[in-house]
Amino acid sequence: MKINTWFGVLETGRTGEILESRLLSKDIRVLALHSLSLRDSRSDLPPERFDPKAAALECGFVASSAEYYSLLHEVTLEAAKHQVSSALTPDQRIIQAVEALDDINETTNSLSERLSEWYGGYFPESGLGGEDLALFIVKYGSRENVGSEDPLHSKARASMGAKLEPADEALLIGFAESVCSLYERRRQIEVYIENSMELIAPNLKLIAGPMLGARLISLAGSLEKLAGFPSSTIQVIGASKALFKHLRSRAPSPKHGIIYSHPLINTAPWWVRGKIARAVASKLSLAARIDFYSGERDHSLPEKLETKVLQIKTLNPRPPQKKQESGAKLKKKRRK
Amino acid sequence: MPEVKKLSDGVFEVIKDKKQLATRNLDPGETVYGEKLIPVEGIEYRTWDPRRSKLGAMILKKFHIPLKENSKVLYLGAASGTTVSHVSDIVSEGAVYAVEFAPRSMRDLIGLASRRKNLHPILADAGKPDSYSHLVEPVDLIFQDVAQPNQAEIAARNAIRFLKKDGHLLLSIKARSIDTAANPREIFKEEVRKLEQAFEPGFEILNAKDLVPYQEDHLGVLAKFKK
Ligand SMILES: C[S@@+](CC[C@H](N)C(=O)[O-])C[C@H]1O[C@@H](n2cnc3c(N)ncnc32)[C@H](O)[C@@H]1O
Repeated sequence: MKINTWFGVLETGRTGEILESRLLSKDIRVLALHSLSLRDSRSDLPPERFDPKAAALECGFVASSAEYYSLLHEVTLEAAKHQVSSALTPDQRIIQAVEALDDINETTNSLSERLSEWYGGYFPESGLGGEDLALFIVKYGSRENVGSEDPLHSKARASMGAKLEPADEALLIGFAESVCSLYERRRQIEVYIENSMELIAPNLKLIAGPMLGARLISLAGSLEKLAGFPSSTIQVIGASKALFKHLRSRAPSPKHGIIYSHPLINTAPWWVRGKIARAVASKLSLAARIDFYSGERDHSLPEKLETKVLQIKTLNPRPPQKKQESGAKLKKKRRK
Repeated sequence: MPEVKKLSDGVFEVIKDKKQLATRNLDPGETVYGEKLIPVEGIEYRTWDPRRSKLGAMILKKFHIPLKENSKVLYLGAASGTTVSHVSDIVSEGAVYAVEFAPRSMRDLIGLASRRKNLHPILADAGKPDSYSHLVEPVDLIFQDVAQPNQAEIAARNAIRFLKKDGHLLLSIKARSIDTAANPREIFKEEVRKLEQAFEPGFEILNAKDLVPYQEDHLGVLAKFKK
């Protein structure tokens, strides 16, 4: 009987004695790669309760049990390291970037709100928010410093806001600088995602746009998984929060995955949205498959999708007939 | 001076202010997950938190832990190595084969294993024991904590392949992972039944207890092959 082990191939006789052995060299890298290559092999598996240590001693691969364990230790470590490092594929990097983007958005929003709350005490009439406000504070600090060339000049002079003391001003400027750099970081990540999508999922990017495409990969877990989903699943990806709610409270079952943020869907009249969503999902699924399996760009995809969408719209120019309409209204009421 | 009481081979109770479960640190000076190090007469003990380790909880619930200094252990669902580190302490002259399939957890486990000679990390799916059969020797204990719906089946497959005839299976069963709605008691009964009848000759259940108050919704099971 032939037996594959991490240190070589053995030929054993009827009582398990070793007749012949082809042993590998004691090179950790070689042994680790060999071990990895055996993961998926279905042939020449060791029998139940086979003892590789006893075999390694018997055929002379190692001289002692201590040597066996020390080699095995190095080999399993090397193999695991190899697997872990190859687990960080390009689509996994995109997923990290998408998650970083979400974190940054959340932080930026809450810090921006804090800044606006805080500075509002000193210049409530500014009408600025978000990045504009942060840039304004970094530039001027106190509203007293707003020059006459600035459109906010007169408002700043007439403001009912409190006087900003130097110590507070320094704090606020520092805080505003941090907020600005978060907005900067956000743009940097968006560019990164866009470039990476171009490289690893150009077709998905064509159909979905870089951000929606990246989010689909992120929610699916990998490009491979996304490519394996039927389009009906792609249609509801990202609806899982709504799905749990549905299971708990019998809320209406969610039909709206994140693909509903797609411009072809969210600008469509309500009565064709479902149909268009199905068409978009099916093209997204196709695009993900091409990206995963061939990687070649198919420029005709967006055009085909637009034709399909146009066709749906032409076939359904008006909302459905009265009967159904009243049904739809009823449903809507119940949802509230 | 803290007082030390031996509970079983390699497992101790250190009494310093309060009673604490502990093992002797195989990697002196290093902590793994923020546990305390307590030196007593030149030996460093590492406290073991039963709220973070199902095996720790089982010990405090008076499960017999069939481990000796030179035991061989197959550990399924190693995660980042919290419990594995204590098993590695206990079998200081033995071997721990630690299987985990999440690359993120494996990253931490590799860090741990590189400091502990008796720990052999394996990135693989515990449901496919064939994929690591070229590495693992027959073992005295299979410890499993995978929190998967097919946990009984995973245990059976690994036992048939790797468990010595007189070896033991120690299992943590999580009620939630199988069915979110059903009653935990019913789930536990069903899982135990699966273990008893999963295959020929099946397992004999030696002990089955919940792990309250240390772990919620978990059942500990100790089993061996039926004669
Ligand atoms: C509850 S955690 C284990 C915690 C660990 N036993 C401890 O106490 O430190 C479960 C782990 O099992 C892993 N896991 C789940 N299914 C698995 C499988 N089929 N093969 C290998 N690992 C699995 C998960 O990735 C997770 O890390």
